[in-house]
Amino acid sequence: MKPFTYAAASSLEDVVGALDEGCRPLAGGTDLLGLMKTGIRGPERLVSLKSIEALEGVERREDGWRIGALTTLSELASPARGGEQRELEVLSRAAAESASPQLRNAATIGGNLLQWPRCWYFRNWLTRCWLKGGDRCLAAGGENRYHAILGAARCHMVHPSDPAVALAALDARVELRGVHGVRTLKIDAFFGEPKPLRENGTVVERDEVITAVVVPRPSRESRGVYVKLAERKVWDFALVSAAVQIEMTEGAVTDAAIVLGGVAAKPWHAFEAEGRLVGEALTGTAMEAAASAATAGAVSLSQNGYKIELAEGAVREALRRLQRTFGSESTGVG
Amino acid sequence: MTETVGRPWVRADARAKVTGQAKFPGDFGMADMVHAKILFADRPHARVVSIDTSEAAQVEGVVAIFTAQDVPVNEYGLQTADQPVLCGPGSGKPGADVVRFVGDQVALVVADTRAAAEQARGLMEITYEDLPVVSDPFEALKPGAPQIHPGREASELHPELSTEGNFICHHQIRKGDMEAGWAQADVVVEGQYHTPGQEHAYLQPEAGLAYIDDEGRVAVVVAGQWAWEDQRQIAHALDIPVEEIRVIYPAIGGAFGGREDMSVQIVLALAAYRLQRPVKITWTREESIRGHCKRHPMWFRCKWGATREGELVAAEVQVVADGGAYCYTTNKVLGNTTITCTGPYAFPNAKVDVDGVYTNNPPSGAMRGFGAPQGIFAAEMQMNKLAEALGMDPVALRMRNLLQDEMPTTTGTPLAGGVHLQEVTERCALAAGWERAEEGWRKPAAKGVALAGRPKEAMRTGMGMAVGFKNVGFSFGYQENCWLRIELRGEDDIERAIVTIGTADVGQGAHTVLQQMAAEALQVSMERVSLEASDTGTSPGSSGSASASRTTFMAGNAIREAAALALDGWREGERPAVVEHTYLAPETTPLDPDTGEGFPNFAYGYVAQVVEVVVDVETGELRVRRVVCADDVGKAINPEQVEGQIEGGVVQAMGWVTCENFIAQAGRVLTPHLSTYLIPTIADVPERMETIIVEKPDPRGPWGARGMGEMPFLPLAPALLAAVHDATGVWIDEFPLTPERVLRSLRDGGSLLECDWE
Repeated sequence: MKPFTYAAASSLEDVVGALDEGCRPLAGGTDLLGLMKTGIRGPERLVSLKSIEALEGVERREDGWRIGALTTLSELASPARGGEQRELEVLSRAAAESASPQLRNAATIGGNLLQWPRCWYFRNWLTRCWLKGGDRCLAAGGENRYHAILGAARCHMVHPSDPAVALAALDARVELRGVHGVRTLKIDAFFGEPKPLRENGTVVERDEVITAVVVPRPSRESRGVYVKLAERKVWDFALVSAAVQIEMTEGAVTDAAIVLGGVAAKPWHAFEAEGRLVGEALTGTAMEAAASAATAGAVSLSQNGYKIELAEGAVREALRRLQRTFGSESTGVG
Repeated sequence: MTETVGRPWVRADARAKVTGQAKFPGDFGMADMVHAKILFADRPHARVVSIDTSEAAQVEGVVAIFTAQDVPVNEYGLQTADQPVLCGPGSGKPGADVVRFVGDQVALVVADTRAAAEQARGLMEITYEDLPVVSDPFEALKPGAPQIHPGREASELHPELSTEGNFICHHQIRKGDMEAGWAQADVVVEGQYHTPGQEHAYLQPEAGLAYIDDEGRVAVVVAGQWAWEDQRQIAHALDIPVEEIRVIYPAIGGAFGGREDMSVQIVLALAAYRLQRPVKITWTREESIRGHCKRHPMWFRCKWGATREGELVAAEVQVVADGGAYCYTTNKVLGNTTITCTGPYAFPNAKVDVDGVYTNNPPSGAMRGFGAPQGIFAAEMQMNKLAEALGMDPVALRMRNLLQDEMPTTTGTPLAGGVHLQEVTERCALAAGWERAEEGWRKPAAKGVALAGRPKEAMRTGMGMAVGFKNVGFSFGYQENCWLRIELRGEDDIERAIVTIGTADVGQGAHTVLQQMAAEALQVSMERVSLEASDTGTSPGSSGSASASRTTFMAGNAIREAAALALDGWREGERPAVVEHTYLAPETTPLDPDTGEGFPNFAYGYVAQVVEVVVDVETGELRVRRVVCADDVGKAINPEQVEGQIEGGVVQAMGWVTCENFIAQAGRVLTPHLSTYLIPTIADVPERMETIIVEKPDPRGPWGARGMGEMPFLPLAPALLAAVHDATGVWIDEFPLTPERVLRSLRDGGSLLECDWE
């Protein structure tokens, strides 16, 4: 590991003023420290954000929540206040199904959104893939069972975050603070295209830190679920996941967000599937139509075609669960 | 007086381990200690042209840098010394300048701090000339393939070792008359199978401390499985007398065969010897995964025939095993595959060919089951397919063909020590719900399940069974032996019994079991027995390896014989009464190179399992609902530990079959972390686990005990895949059963294995 210096930040202003290529912010460190140990990252200086109170805590507002960037996945997994439990179900489930208890205690939501790809060519300190400045994506012609089926061009990474998928389904915004001030981006805009020096696929600039995630309050008629499929029952990255948030009014879907994880460099909004549901009742036919539309445009590599089937299965399962949730509520059961 | 054998004594090391008092190799330190880091090749096949240490040597705190030219005899290996200690020019050993896999060691950098050693390692300038890489054993056998070890010499000790091309070794069986066999066969089942490699993933990555002890010896504190053999190999490489090396095993954090061959031992000893200072090393998990051997990946082509009534008449099996870059124990592992790949059945006619092949993959070596899990997998897949083809119940077909006392195996001789395959099969089947009706065995009907609200039509349930057997000890002509010393102290009564033995406790609880057996044999209480183990400084004889399910059998017999001698001395008034004794196991023979005839082993263990699974056909996910395991252990010296071994073996086998996926591309490891190499968690283990301890004594086992540490691993893979077939109607002939493989196989109607067998 390359030697580095460490300092605790005194204020947010000082942090953003100090950040550059060699000076990076540190929160939970669950990803960054591993990358530093294997030499994939080598910052000269780390500034810990842990001392900045403004980045802590979940604030409940009339129109939603402001989740401080230092909020841990454990906190998100079990929100203290009763009402949030159901309204943010999709997010708390996604957080709960991430990593292991120890990692969730340390990992923050800000860091979670800024994770680097798990692609084994990227993580291998001996290989130089396109993302690390090489001339081609090694997964495209190599071992690619865990790689992207949607939206990939030069690089076939998938974003490893579970909460990001749920946040996209909740239409959340990411608040960034840099030397030039504050900007707020929708999840979709927050994730751009992966490219060298932007390896985690986000548009965050070198001087910026995430200060909060802002989640609008879902309507009273809205419910969400998170379905994660992996190779191991716990403590594994998703092969494919689906975050689905649906609003039902008088027996028909009035709003639907269907977002897939594990399939692209960013949480993947399945717009076509959403379109199939709006205006329909949650019948078997409508659910099937939405599930099979979820992977529209998917292109598989030599080993990852199964993800198409899995993604459709995940959406189907999510819709079934929602059908039961709405069903039991309308009949007064449960 | 006391009855210590057969009781669930709490492990002697339990308190120290759960309270953090136990010291593992990485926990040792000494004054004036320096730290070492190994520079790995990180490339699968290359010639080291030159090594420039000048920049690295400038780093502040660097004490020394060792390369090939510093190793007096630059070779080592348990079976054949085909691996350089450090790869590079200048050692005088032909071929030692070539690296053959990514984990080959090129230099040892020693510094005052770990950070300095690491920094200097990064500044080493190595000029490589890359050589063509061969990572597929079928490719490695083709004419014109890159040669991994050209110019090998024949081994007198191990005639099965080959000198030709990339062949490591060959075993074969020719029994009966194949043509006559096929003529009798009404039903023939052909199958191809692939079993993957497996990482040992022990809790404790490789670590050690070497220093000069009070008597001037080079002492190496390390985790291994066979201290005496480590000592021999270190002395050979350093070219100093064996007595000047001392190997000490403290608490060992798991081994599973992965410590049978060496990792840090020789370089540590070399550095301490040269520097006359304590030297410490600790590998990271990545170094461990890249640096030590794996289970042999194997490919099988099988053709079995039976009569309409279900009598097995002929078996033809061809096996290719990827041995990786060095031999390690490949010849021994494949001996076990040779005798297990036709299953525990009486075949009048058999033709078996087994080849081990050098490639540029990480070396394959010992791992729990030692070649038997692979052989049993292919055999039991064949057996379950045969039952289907014959329309017979799988238990009924087995009961008809299982080996029994006095029946010759494919090697022409019966299994030694009493054969209880029918007992374990019957006990397991009955416990799992099979009915033994008048018309024969009847499998219980599958029950549908509703799980966590998943739709019933997507959830398929199934049940499958398999049987396994494995030898105890290495044998195949090797004279198994176990040295120990007993000292009885006291006046009128024995106040203290000191047992000194080399045997390692690799975490399986061996030392507790040895203490129990010593107390029983000497008729004293457990508290009066103390064990001094795992230090070649106190145990000059070899007590053998803690592997091959041999420890209880071998050390137990050594204890029994030595205790009788010591008690004789005690009764004659010797104070203290001291006996040094080596137990010799019954003689065995190697397999005949042409026919495979022989008497390869002196003892065996038997096991049967039934597995119940739920397959989610929409997501490809598996859930193992229940495992029933009946294991003939002869005598459970410590029943609680036996149960622990059974449960641990089942979980480790489940990992191999379901989620562990070691991936190397052209020799480069893509899964060097436990985040990509997924071992099972508590959430993945079977929902129900029923162990049935069968105690059919081996007349030559201590108190009747058989070896048992590996046996529970054996039948799980084929039993699980039979359950998947029962659930879905599809035979999957390879694993791990990731969602990807399950969905693909369901879509294709099975596996589409393609190998270049010519």
